[in-house]
Amino acid sequence: MAEDTSETGPTGARKIIHVDMDAFYASVEQRDDPGLRGKPLAVGGARARGVVAAASYEARRFGVRSAMPSVTAQRKCPDLIFVRPRFDVYRAVSAQIRDIFAEFTALIEPLSLDEAYLDVTGSGFGGGSATRIAEAIRARIRAETGLTASAGVSYNKFLAKMASDQRKPDGLFVIRPAEGADFVAALPIGKFHGIGPATAARMQRLGVETGADLRGLDLEVLQRHFGKIGHYYYWLARGRDDRPVSAERVRKSVSAETTYDTDLFTPEAVRAALAELAAKVWRHCAAAGVAGRTVTLKLRHPDFQQATRSRTLATPVDSLATLIRIAEDLAGAEPAGPKGIRLLGVGLSSLVSASDPAPPPQLPLPL
Amino acid sequence: MQLIIERGALLRTLGHIHSVVERRNTIPILSNVLIEARDGQLHLTATDLDLAIVESVPCNVMQAGSTTASAHTLFDIVRKLADGTDVELTYKSDEGGRMTLAAGRSRFQLQCLPREDFPVIADAGLPHRFTLAADKLRKLVDKTRFAISTEETRYYLNGIYVHATESGGAPVLRGVATDGHRLARFEVPLPAGASEMPGAIVPRKTVNEVRKLIDETEGEVEISLSDTKIRFAFDDVVLTSKLIDGSFPDYSRVIPVANDKVLEVDPRLFAAAVDRVSTISTDKTRAVKLTIDQDRITLSVTSPDNGSAVEEVAASYRASPMEIGFNAKYLLDITQQIDSDVARFVLADSLAPTLVRDEGDEATLYVLMPMRV
Repeated sequence: MAEDTSETGPTGARKIIHVDMDAFYASVEQRDDPGLRGKPLAVGGARARGVVAAASYEARRFGVRSAMPSVTAQRKCPDLIFVRPRFDVYRAVSAQIRDIFAEFTALIEPLSLDEAYLDVTGSGFGGGSATRIAEAIRARIRAETGLTASAGVSYNKFLAKMASDQRKPDGLFVIRPAEGADFVAALPIGKFHGIGPATAARMQRLGVETGADLRGLDLEVLQRHFGKIGHYYYWLARGRDDRPVSAERVRKSVSAETTYDTDLFTPEAVRAALAELAAKVWRHCAAAGVAGRTVTLKLRHPDFQQATRSRTLATPVDSLATLIRIAEDLAGAEPAGPKGIRLLGVGLSSLVSASDPAPPPQLPLPL
Repeated sequence: MQLIIERGALLRTLGHIHSVVERRNTIPILSNVLIEARDGQLHLTATDLDLAIVESVPCNVMQAGSTTASAHTLFDIVRKLADGTDVELTYKSDEGGRMTLAAGRSRFQLQCLPREDFPVIADAGLPHRFTLAADKLRKLVDKTRFAISTEETRYYLNGIYVHATESGGAPVLRGVATDGHRLARFEVPLPAGASEMPGAIVPRKTVNEVRKLIDETEGEVEISLSDTKIRFAFDDVVLTSKLIDGSFPDYSRVIPVANDKVLEVDPRLFAAAVDRVSTISTDKTRAVKLTIDQDRITLSVTSPDNGSAVEEVAASYRASPMEIGFNAKYLLDITQQIDSDVARFVLADSLAPTLVRDEGDEATLYVLMPMRV
């Protein structure tokens, strides 16, 4: 069969695959430590303020979910085993998986370490069948990493993403162009990817419980209630989503934050913590080859009151010392106040590539 | 408190002071203006804790008293009232903390905050005092403020450094501003009483507020200061400000004394040409290359994306030919301040500070650092 490299296939529809690793971090841990297999497992900190980063399917049966406070998870599942995350291992496995994707298409949009969209519209593999490509990818992932992945196949990103959730774990689900509108119509509004609890509640106030209800709303009504994104919802309700799979997601910021086991009170403790976070951000910037002009400080008090402050410079922050100094400056003289600090974050944004050709340099006055 | 004031007088006064009040305030009372009625005068005060302006205006005071109300709301209301109406402000402390504003058929009830909570910048203890003609102060600000740094990391450059010194053997009061790329200096004969004054870095916001307020002032401005504060008093206005707490760098080191290549050009023709050729540049910083030859300058700009531009400007130049690059905006900022028909550039080489003078004005001096082009 001739290779078709156009944007759309012969039928005019795109072919999008969403690949999602099953309980990724937890599965990697179970793969590497046979003693953990078949057991309820949570990756994350067991400490007082830890959070579950990922839960094995055994743990999920007890109601343990990712992003759940570790204390809550332990209560729901007393036998829950906590494992410290090993991000370098996850990153290595993620790179392995992306190499597999790259054999099938160049249009890969990673969403995180464990999921990605693939546009295989132009791929000649498997006779151009996206379903066969998805099966081949799943088989390769299993053979090469010993892990399972679920895949959703459809004609746009939204439906591919929804499809990958249908047969989890280790499953494949296809939504064909003729089925898209019906699939969306039957979907409860809270299950829409990208519609969180807050938007779902607003939808429900408008009488929208399902995709079919959403379809009943005029474009103008949706735009009035939801602004620009109303347009996106309008087409979603009709099974349409024209967002392209964009291979290059440009990094917008680099940041690091830590929740402290015990609240920070003294300016010295805050300064030390800021220096550590700044150093981490600086290392990540160096690794990514970027530099940033905007420094952002995030503070969260024990009562969860939160503040972010930022400062934008005329030129990128030139040294770690400058980054630390600006972060301290933003924190002010009494950063902890009477309440103390639970979480601190330091970020750099307004990024430029460090390898960009610099504009002709303005020389400084020798002040 | 009860008073009646003509709408125009109230609007003018509020217009003068309300820009001090920041639109976003974390401390509620800083959104308010302090309203005090006594001795046939209305005194309005606005502050941002670093800077306070008090302006007084005659009015009909029926009952003395004071309160505070939202500055921007008050300004917006008065702005929308019909011209020529009388505005009556009434505040009774037992009426649930509201001030009534009545004008024509409109009545507003404005939420107030206790005047006791309104922060006051103490302006006692300002030992150094002198007066300066308003037109001289205007010129000092105009000739220097464009060079004030906006880089917060070098906060001590975020203002005009005003100090007493000597120039050619004569005592002067000098204002200097620099952003680390260019420097502007202006001086006037030292006023009596200023010789002992400490050097003061007057913050940008204060500079801008003072400049706005003295725009039409004809008389003298009384200036008093200490190590930490400065006060400007003129007409019916008193502006008190904190000074920037830092030390201004020794700027005299960057003023070249040995430059010997003199280039003279009509500042307006030159500025227009710089403005034209820099149009081609897409960079945030527009660099212009000056190729200086016998009695002419060739300005050129090259943009990798856009193309290139060249223009020749007549000039007076007799030294050896040279090339030098400058930020177009900096060239425009400086040449716009030159009032005479001759801008004199005194150059050394393409990497050294360049001196710029206004032929008709010995009091001003600019230093401009080149760009590498």
